[in-house]
Amino acid sequence: MSTYKNLIGKDVNFLTTDPDNDAAEGQIWYNSTSNVYKNVIVNKAWSSSGSLITAIPGGGQAGAGTQTAGLAFGGNNGPILAVTQEYNGTGFTLGGNLNTARYQLAGAGTQTAALAFGGEPPPSGVDLSESYNGTSWTEGNNLNTARRTLGGSGTQTAAMAVGGTTGTVSTASEKYDGTSWTSTPSLNQAKRNTQNVGPSAAALNFGGYTTPPQVVRTETESWDGSSWTAVNAMNVGRYGAGATGTQTSAIAFGGFNPGNPTNPVAVNESWDGTSWTNTSISLAQARGYGAGFGTNTAAVLAGGGPTPANKPSATEEYSETANVITGAAWASGGNIGTARRALWGAGTQTAGLIFGGYIGAPVSADTEEYNGTSWSEQNNLNTAGYHLAGTGTQTAGIAFARGTPTPNNGPLTEEYDGTSWSEQNDMGTARYATAGFGIQTAAACVGGSPVSIGTPNMQRTEEYDGSSWSDGGTYPTPIYSLGGCGTQSAGLGCGGFSPPAGLGGRVTLTGEYDGSSWTTGGSLVQGVDGGFASGSQTDAIFFCGYASGPLNQSQKYDGTSWVSSASLANARNSLGGSSTTGALALAAGGGTPNTNSTEEFTGETSSLNVKTLTQS
Amino acid sequence: MENFLYGVATNTGKGFFTAEDRRNFFLRGYPANVWVVGNNPKGALWVADRGVFKTKSEAQALVDAEVQAAQAAWDAQTDEEKADLLNIRPSDVTLP
Repeated sequence: MSTYKNLIGKDVNFLTTDPDNDAAEGQIWYNSTSNVYKNVIVNKAWSSSGSLITAIPGGGQAGAGTQTAGLAFGGNNGPILAVTQEYNGTGFTLGGNLNTARYQLAGAGTQTAALAFGGEPPPSGVDLSESYNGTSWTEGNNLNTARRTLGGSGTQTAAMAVGGTTGTVSTASEKYDGTSWTSTPSLNQAKRNTQNVGPSAAALNFGGYTTPPQVVRTETESWDGSSWTAVNAMNVGRYGAGATGTQTSAIAFGGFNPGNPTNPVAVNESWDGTSWTNTSISLAQARGYGAGFGTNTAAVLAGGGPTPANKPSATEEYSETANVITGAAWASGGNIGTARRALWGAGTQTAGLIFGGYIGAPVSADTEEYNGTSWSEQNNLNTAGYHLAGTGTQTAGIAFARGTPTPNNGPLTEEYDGTSWSEQNDMGTARYATAGFGIQTAAACVGGSPVSIGTPNMQRTEEYDGSSWSDGGTYPTPIYSLGGCGTQSAGLGCGGFSPPAGLGGRVTLTGEYDGSSWTTGGSLVQGVDGGFASGSQTDAIFFCGYASGPLNQSQKYDGTSWVSSASLANARNSLGGSSTTGALALAAGGGTPNTNSTEEFTGETSSLNVKTLTQS
Repeated sequence: MENFLYGVATNTGKGFFTAEDRRNFFLRGYPANVWVVGNNPKGALWVADRGVFKTKSEAQALVDAEVQAAQAAWDAQTDEEKADLLNIRPSDVTLP
C-alpha cells in the first residue's frame, strides 16, 4: 500500500498550530491542539480593491499590464477621456494622458511598455496607435483599418488587433511588431466588442457581438501566427468583457449578454486550451466595458458600465491563491453625539477621541470618546475651538492651535487624561488649521492659519515635550488645512492649501519629518485640503477633504507613493478621526452640511485558506 | 434598467452599512439622509430593509432643500465670518 509521502512527496506533519504562509499549500497536517487533520485550499475569488481615481460611467477604457503593475486608459465620462490610471496592486495613480482621447479602444503590453490602438470617436473609429513608456504616450504608425470596439492583446512588440466595427462589424485582424501594423488573414466570424488574449504568435479570440440584429457571439478562434481556426465555443456569449491569460489558459469575466439570466454576466468562464468551463466564481459587481488586465490567475477589472453597471469606479481583483484576500472598505460606525465640522481626533478605531469643532454657532468645546461601537460625551475642553489640532490617545490626548472668535486663544494648549482637560503652556505662535501628530509627551504642530500669522509662520513646526513648545523644522511650503500623522521623529504632512506666496491652491505635496527637518515625499493622487490623516510615515491613509466640493476619497501611502483606496460612503471635509494606524482608521463628523456620521476603515487583509478535513 | 436606486434612510450608526455591503454594491450618502445605491439585488435589499425608495427627482429635491437651508445659514453669517477662508459656503449637490 502506498503512503501519503510516496504519493505526495511530503510527510503528514504533527503541528500544535496551523502554518501561516504559502509554503503550506498542498500539505496535510495534524493539528494536535484541535485534534483534526487540516490542509490549505487554493482559493479562486474576486475581491475589491482601490477605486479608479477618475470614475468612468460610460466605460470603454482599455487595460494592460499585471495585477501589481497595471494600466487603465481612455474611456467615456460624458467627455471622451485621454486619462491614464496606473495600478500598483492596491490602488491607482495618474499617469501621462493619451495624445488622442478615445474610448472603445484596445490595449496591450505592460505598465511601462503599453500600446493603445483604435477606438472612437464615432462613427467609424480611429486608426491611431500610441505606445506608453511608463510616463508618456507617443504616436506610432497607424492601424491599417480604422475601427472601434476591437479586441486587443499581446505585448508592445507583438500585439494583435482583432474585429471591431468600421460602421459594419469587422473580421479585420492585424499584428504589430513594435514598429508597424500588418494585416493578417481575417477572423472567420466578424465580431465587435470582442475579447482577445495572447501575443501575435499565439492568440485566442472569443465572444463579442454582431449587429443588426444584435447577436451575442460564443465563437472562439485560435491564432497560430498565420491563420485563425475555429475551436470550441464559449458556454455563455458575452461582449465588452474582461479577458486575460494565454491561448492555452484564459479567463473571461464580466461583459454583457441581454439574453442571459444575469446581465451583465458575473461568473468567470475559463479556457484550458481545448474547451470553456463555466465557473461559480463571480464578480461582486457584475459589469462590462471595464478595463481588464493581468493573467488568468491574477486579473483585475477596473471600472465598467454603463448598463446596468452599479459602480463606475469599482475595482476588483481575481486571484487563485492559497490565501483569502478581503478588500479594504469603509463601514458605518456609531454616530457622534453632536454633528459638527472643523473638529480634531486622536486615539484608535476602538478607543477614539474627538474634540472641539464648529456646530454653526457657537464654536464647540465638546469632547467625545469612542469604544469601537458608540460615542459618549465627556468633559469639555476648557476653551472652545474650531479648526484645532491635537494628537495622542484616549487617555493621554493633547489639543492645540485652535481658531476661535477670539484670536488670542490660538496658542492655547490643553492635555486630556481620559477624564478632563487641563491647560498647559502656550505655543509660540497663535494659529489654527494646522496639523498635529505624535503623542502627548512628544507632539508636533505644523502649518497654520491663513489670516493672522503670515506665510513664514505657515511653514513653522513646533514640538511639544509634555511641558513646553520649541521650534522644529521648516515645512517645504507655506501651508494650512493639511493632514498630519506619525510620530515627532517620523511625521507626515499631506495636502492642504498653500497661499499664493507658496505653491498656491490645494497641493499634492507630502512632507516627511525626521524630528528636525522636512523633506518632500511622494505626491498625493489629488490635491486636497481639510482631509484627515492616520497612521505612520510608511503606512498612512489620508481621507476625505475638499477640492471642488467635499470628498469621499481615501489615499494610501507606503512611504514612497500614494495610491487610491476604498471610498467612504459620506463625502465630508474638516473632519476628525483616529490618528495611529493606516490599516484601522476612523472618520468622524465633518461638513458641509455638518454630519454626525462615523465610518471605520479596515485595510485589505490576507490569510491562509486553512480547511479542516472531514470524512463526509 | 437604471444604474442607481435612490432611498431615504436614517443612519443608525454601527452596522448601518457594513464593509461587506461596501464590497457588494455602490453606496453614497447625501444630505437629508438620502442614499444612492447600486442597482443590484443586494443594493435593492439594503434600501428596502433600512428605509424607503425614492425617485431620483424626489431624492434630489430632498437634498436641494437641505443644502439650500445650509446655504441660507451661511449667507446669514457676518461678513467677518464669511471672510474666513476655511468657512466655505455649502456647495450644490447633484445626485448621480
